[in-house]
Amino acid sequence: MAIEVGDTFPNAVLSYIPYDAANPDACGLTQQLKTHDAFRGKKVVLFAVPGAFTPTCSESHMPGYIAHLDDLKSKGVDIVACVATNDQFVMSAWGKANKVKDDILMLSDANGELGSAIGLFKGDQGPGVGPRRLARFAVIIDDLKVVYLGVETARGVSVSGAPAVLAKL
Amino acid sequence: MALTVGEAFPQVQLKYIPYDAAAADGCAAPQVLDTKAAFAGKTVVVVGVPGAFTPTCSVQHIPAYVSRAPELRAKGVDLIVCVSGNDFFVMSAWGKSMGVQDAIVMAGDANGDLGRATGLALDLAAVGLGAVRLTRFAAIVRDGTVAYVETEDDPTQVTVSGVDSVLAAL
Repeated sequence: MAIEVGDTFPNAVLSYIPYDAANPDACGLTQQLKTHDAFRGKKVVLFAVPGAFTPTCSESHMPGYIAHLDDLKSKGVDIVACVATNDQFVMSAWGKANKVKDDILMLSDANGELGSAIGLFKGDQGPGVGPRRLARFAVIIDDLKVVYLGVETARGVSVSGAPAVLAKL
Repeated sequence: MALTVGEAFPQVQLKYIPYDAAAADGCAAPQVLDTKAAFAGKTVVVVGVPGAFTPTCSVQHIPAYVSRAPELRAKGVDLIVCVSGNDFFVMSAWGKSMGVQDAIVMAGDANGDLGRATGLALDLAAVGLGAVRLTRFAAIVRDGTVAYVETEDDPTQVTVSGVDSVLAAL
């Protein structure tokens, strides 16, 4: 069952590779992020994508968040995070390709723990990209409470895009 | 069933995004690489890796295949395929990051068909990389028949699956 506004965001273990400003091209060590530890007491915007490096994600979804980072911060957002079921190496590489530095946390849900907990896996996408992908969505989490959830029901970026999220902050 | 020398390479359909010199940064549509059709009458080197952009793969394993692709060609290799359980978008992006261009076909086995058909699947869920991965291996396939196949006992190392070993076996 999918999460809803008013629910507590589930506690899931995600992984990521911290941005290293001194060695941006280095392969860093994997770190774990427990959503409740990292998000407690904070205002978080988390957007989820079916896959790193896919055309919609790279051309329209992520760039909107990069362009609106200052606007998000000025509305009190402490953490902007992106999550997909790609692994942390891929997420880190995708972040580097988009030059997000440490402005956006690039999180991996490769084992599907978060997707299972929030009930937002996409249906079968057809052959070739794997069966277990997250739906495209964005969620605003305020001290672990879900205050906005926008899930895309068609191709493209509308309710999960940075402008839609900004309007709800 | 494991991949075995002397036996046919299994027929699976992998996906890849063709290199397009005119639009190197573009997102082209994926194409199907049918191993039976694509390998017929050709000498093919298939290199399997646990994951794109992982330290061992990016630092030690595939760059050597890129830089020494001309030596492989000189020994009669028609096609070099790098495959992992990542999807084709990721494989294409990884290829671009290593400057592969069209030297190697960067193919995705995101649904795990090749892993199942070859017995070379690797479950890396325990280390957070997901369950549908390939072990690190290299194979030489001549006209659809496996002529060489070696898998790394330790997938973090590159020995029998490295380009030196493959060149020596050609």
